[in-house]
Amino acid sequence: MAKDEFQSRQFKVVGTRVPRPDGVDKVTGRARYGADITAPGMLTGLCLRSPHAHARIRSIDTSAAEAMKGVKAVVTRADFDVTPESSGNRDVLDNVMAGDKALYDGHTVAAVAATSRSVARAALKAIKVDYEVLPHVTDVDEAMKPDAPVLHEGRQQESVPEGYSQNVLARSQYGHGDVDKGFEEADIVIERHFTTAATHQGYIEPHACLATMGGDGKADLWCCTQGHYHVRDTCAELLGMDTGQLKVTSSEIGGGFGGKTTVFLEPVALMLSRKSGKPVKMTMSREEVLRASGPTASTSVSIKIGARKDGRITAGWGDFRYQNGAFEAMNGALGAMCGFAPYDLENVRTTGWEVVTNRPKAAAYRAPGAPMAAFAVESVVDELAGELGMDPIDFRLMNAADEGTKAAYGPTYPAIGLKSVLEAAKDHPHWNTPLEGENRGRGFAVGFWFNFGGNTSVSLMINGDGTVSLSEGNPDIGGSRASMSMMAAEELGIPYEHVRCVIADTASLGQNDITDGSRVTFAVGLATIKAARHAIDIMKARAARIWGIDEEAVEWVDGAAQPAGPNAGKFEPMTLKEIAALASKTGGPIAGHFEVNAEGAGVSFGAHIADTEVDPETGAVKVLRYTVFQDAGKAVHPDYVEGQMQGGAVQGIGWALNEEYIYGEDGILQNPGYLDYRIPVASDLPMIDTKILEIPNPGHPYGVRGVGETGIVPPLATLANAVSRAAGVRMTSLPMSPPKLLAAIKAAKG
Amino acid sequence: MAKERREIRFILNGSDVRLGEVAAQDTLLDFLRNARRLTGTKEGCAEGDCGACTVLVGRLVKGRLRYETVNACIRFLATLDGCHVVTIEHLRGADGGMHPVQQAMVEAHGSQCGFCTPGIVMSLYALWMQSAAPSDAEIETALQGNLCRCTGYEPIFKAARAAAELGDPAADPLEAERADVTGRLKAMADGARVTVSRGEDRAILPADVADLADVLAKHPEATIVAGATDVGLWVTKFLKPISPAVFVGHLSDLRQVDAKAARLRIGAGASYTDAEAALARAFPHLGPYWKRIAGWQVRNMGTVGGNIANGSPIGDTPPVLIALEAKLHLRSAEGTREIPLEDFFIDYGKQDLRAGEFVEAVEIPLAQEGVRHAAYKVSKRRDEDITAVAAGFALRVENGVIADARLVFGGMAAVPKRAAQAEAALKGQPFDAASFERAAQALAEDFQPLTDWRASAEYRRLVAANLLRRFWAEEGEGAKARLEGV
Ligand SMILES: Cc1cc2nc3c(=O)[nH]c(=O)nc-3n(C[C@H](O)[C@H](O)[C@H](O)COP(=O)(O)OP(=O)(O)OC[C@H]3O[C@@H](n4cnc5c(N)ncnc54)[C@H](O)[C@@H]3O)c2cc1C
Ligand code: FES
Ligand code: FES
Repeated sequence: MAKDEFQSRQFKVVGTRVPRPDGVDKVTGRARYGADITAPGMLTGLCLRSPHAHARIRSIDTSAAEAMKGVKAVVTRADFDVTPESSGNRDVLDNVMAGDKALYDGHTVAAVAATSRSVARAALKAIKVDYEVLPHVTDVDEAMKPDAPVLHEGRQQESVPEGYSQNVLARSQYGHGDVDKGFEEADIVIERHFTTAATHQGYIEPHACLATMGGDGKADLWCCTQGHYHVRDTCAELLGMDTGQLKVTSSEIGGGFGGKTTVFLEPVALMLSRKSGKPVKMTMSREEVLRASGPTASTSVSIKIGARKDGRITAGWGDFRYQNGAFEAMNGALGAMCGFAPYDLENVRTTGWEVVTNRPKAAAYRAPGAPMAAFAVESVVDELAGELGMDPIDFRLMNAADEGTKAAYGPTYPAIGLKSVLEAAKDHPHWNTPLEGENRGRGFAVGFWFNFGGNTSVSLMINGDGTVSLSEGNPDIGGSRASMSMMAAEELGIPYEHVRCVIADTASLGQNDITDGSRVTFAVGLATIKAARHAIDIMKARAARIWGIDEEAVEWVDGAAQPAGPNAGKFEPMTLKEIAALASKTGGPIAGHFEVNAEGAGVSFGAHIADTEVDPETGAVKVLRYTVFQDAGKAVHPDYVEGQMQGGAVQGIGWALNEEYIYGEDGILQNPGYLDYRIPVASDLPMIDTKILEIPNPGHPYGVRGVGETGIVPPLATLANAVSRAAGVRMTSLPMSPPKLLAAIKAAKG
Repeated sequence: MAKERREIRFILNGSDVRLGEVAAQDTLLDFLRNARRLTGTKEGCAEGDCGACTVLVGRLVKGRLRYETVNACIRFLATLDGCHVVTIEHLRGADGGMHPVQQAMVEAHGSQCGFCTPGIVMSLYALWMQSAAPSDAEIETALQGNLCRCTGYEPIFKAARAAAELGDPAADPLEAERADVTGRLKAMADGARVTVSRGEDRAILPADVADLADVLAKHPEATIVAGATDVGLWVTKFLKPISPAVFVGHLSDLRQVDAKAARLRIGAGASYTDAEAALARAFPHLGPYWKRIAGWQVRNMGTVGGNIANGSPIGDTPPVLIALEAKLHLRSAEGTREIPLEDFFIDYGKQDLRAGEFVEAVEIPLAQEGVRHAAYKVSKRRDEDITAVAAGFALRVENGVIADARLVFGGMAAVPKRAAQAEAALKGQPFDAASFERAAQALAEDFQPLTDWRASAEYRRLVAANLLRRFWAEEGEGAKARLEGV
């Protein structure tokens, strides 16, 4: 529980642009990331990875590697003699170290720890793996066919109807009303098929960790992750350890975007350390990052929408086929839930499909599953508006979800910001400045994301000098140390500079869920406010004791306790600093803490406008202007909020225009490097203009909503709509790379 | 034989470093991070793509100290002999506090996760030294080789613009150290051949060009390494041994770029950056083209000689140089020879380079009056991308008739190649749209390009023909050659 009602108030710290606490460390190179620490006697760990897309592992001979000088441990699946309880963790184990089969190009099949990287490399070469190469499949539509090569037997859930390959693990359905009837009522119906390629989060910091396990079975792990509690829990299970014996410390994180929400190297490094008795450091190369860590699902989506001449949508239907890599995930379901979420529909029906293929396990990437769904739905919505001769924003306004709307995925919305977002876009100079010139086109689209809450623990210490040490348990991926310090300062009534927030290790706080689902500013913020209130209660009690009055007769105003009620004015207010100085005489150290499984995260909507220009001779696209509108509930630190909005938009631009996983006929990834998996550089991007809206989230004391993910949802569709207009041909396949766009232009010209 | 020294000497930030045990494939980045624990310099790719490892390397150019950004991940340690390496840890402001660039980055929120930040700070620092109040185009160029996944670059641009107001390059501590560092580097330069090794692995830095010829005569199997922007990846990505490696980047006589006797001579060891100004002066159409080769750091390291010698069909310089009728100078202990550049490329992976021979220079005739030139690069993105199709065109038009045409393409065949049929379709024809249309059609007979992940055969064919049409549109209709956007 702990839904906390929003209360309107005058903020002093929240909403200002205070200096960032991590700024100096980052610009001076002092911040310590996953690969930046060492331990005495440390070994280097490396993984041996499958060169095949799909192969049975007949045997692994590690004897030659083990006999090499400098090799201290070799690990294969045989070393992990556990069967995790949940199917999720069984998959994780299969992913970090292949069992009977290698399921994708780059799948780890063994690992070594040696005294140097060169010895470790030589040892990898000395490991002999006997593979029986099997037929493979990497395309989602192919993988669904009954005769496709099968990855896992017996994993299909009952929700999947007959006639599909075993690769289809699950089907989920959402919606209400009667879509057939809805389509009958429509004056116009548009149905289209869309595809998107898999993309990678592209964080610049490769996965890295340092594991140390002593002979007594106690272990320490340092790693870059979005959720060190999750790493601890998972690793402990995979290594058959008691959770309390493993302490995980999260490093500064060099980008994650969802991709660092699971384990890859960590259990392997721990196992190597256990076997060798030495600290083991592991770092992925960029090629390993691309071949083996978290891409998104690639998708094949069909959308059908009907509308009346007056612009009212009568029915929406969608089939979302998502390829999740080699293991189960729920991206298809998320797509099926999010696609139509911005609309108030009488009749809507969506189906999400979870399909496995011989590709790396899909990981979350900022609003997982939603961008591809929005691409498909918003493209058809855009086309419908065009066919009806309506302004794209007016058309959406007419059909927009609002407070009380039954969402396409089930629940009924409380107060939401979609209409405000749409109206802000409509009033913005960008929308109202005509786009002139040949080969140019403007696009518009909206996007939705749920946002999460979840398990959260915060501890807030009042130091003797009146400063505050705040501990949270969520790696700071978007400025949470600043935001938490600001909310603590706000609540306590002290200057922001008096608070320092750190990310505590797993032994120092209660459980904290992963930094994902844009949950941190919301949930950790909530817990911080509550921890501050807890500390305030204690301080009020101390003041009451000093004054010899009742606790209830003390108020907390502007960072000080003051007598209230009948005692008002009887004593001088005592500041936090004064109370802190007397703490040891009044009952000991003062600290507040709060633990909660937070609910009421509050969904968020965004809208984007893009102007593009297409070069008809090369198919190249230039983004000329870009504006992002998003509801932040309350922007605690506007710079960080803008940063999230810009960051999401530019990742979406990369996804829409250029980024893609390219597999050969052999099932091998063709472009595992930044030169060929090309994320945007400065010249690929326009300035991203941002407009923050603040429609308070009723479920947070300050009205905060998560902002980290929604920004990546609209850009795929926004750019597709813009480029389609500029090129004069509807683009239904991403990325719209120059070759693809030029071919489409040529085909359209006939 | 030249005098031999068995250690490399350089300055790392403030201190002198001498190392005898160095393997050919040891990289500067590993040295910094592992041996020196200077972990401010990051590794994001080890392939020269992301710029997280950007550091400054200062070297003496005609007695003057010049600092340039390089990718530490593919810069071989041995090549730092006689250089000053400056890492993020060495940066400070005139008052000993943060450097103006660092301060600007903090204030403008130039970092989110911050992993790219040290590299970006170093690139912006180098830019600030050159141009304290940079234009947006200059900032864009400075950041070509730096990837940031978080910010969208906008805040970084703000920081680059703001840095000018926070400090004066003339008061920079590195500026104050200049005389001292110059003196120390000069004292290190003893004109000796340097050989360092670890175990069997060996790296040789010849004393001069003549010594290079001698070394190669003795070790014809050696790997010649210039800027290492290709060879670096053989080591970090493909794990290939390169020992014995013969480094040539430090040879100032091989780095000369000069215009003499109606020829522009570019030494094989000259980096793209070294060659840029002279080349753009002589051939303005190559100015913008040059800026589209790789990113800034790679251009500070990579050489024209290496771009030719690697024999790649998608190297950016051969098509435009062949169009300019460039000649290649090859040298060995036996002597020198000169061949037309186009003859150097025999087949995929096969060049006219004999055992013990090296590329000494490329020479371009300067007197090209009346010739219309163009250079095009088509890649998925404008900056820091590998070519799908590159083209160099040179056309002599006399009295409205095309007297001569050289149309050279990269990415269309196994080697950089002239389009014989298309050239024939133009020669002797009127300088008009119809001739170009015929040439565009004729291209189909010249090339059977391949499909790969960068582009399909069909795309290459289509854009190659479109480039001829564009050339006509730009030149024929009087517009100046331009190369903005793709
Ligand atoms: C991030 C990145 C981006 C890039 N982008 C581009 C691009 O846009 N366009 C492009 O064309 N290239 C690009 N490259 C490739 C590379 O920069 C060029 O090929 C470069 O010119 C090679 O020169 P180098 O001095 O670095 O050669 P090296 O790597 O030192 O050597 C390359 C080859 O040439 C041989 N060699 C070098 N010098 C001589 C000599 N004097 N005599 C005989 N043999 C010699 C070497 O033995 C080796 O076989 C890129 C590389 C990177 C890492
Ligand atoms: S680490 Fe990426 S360029 Fe060097
Ligand atoms: S700030 Fe994260 S990559 Fe630039």
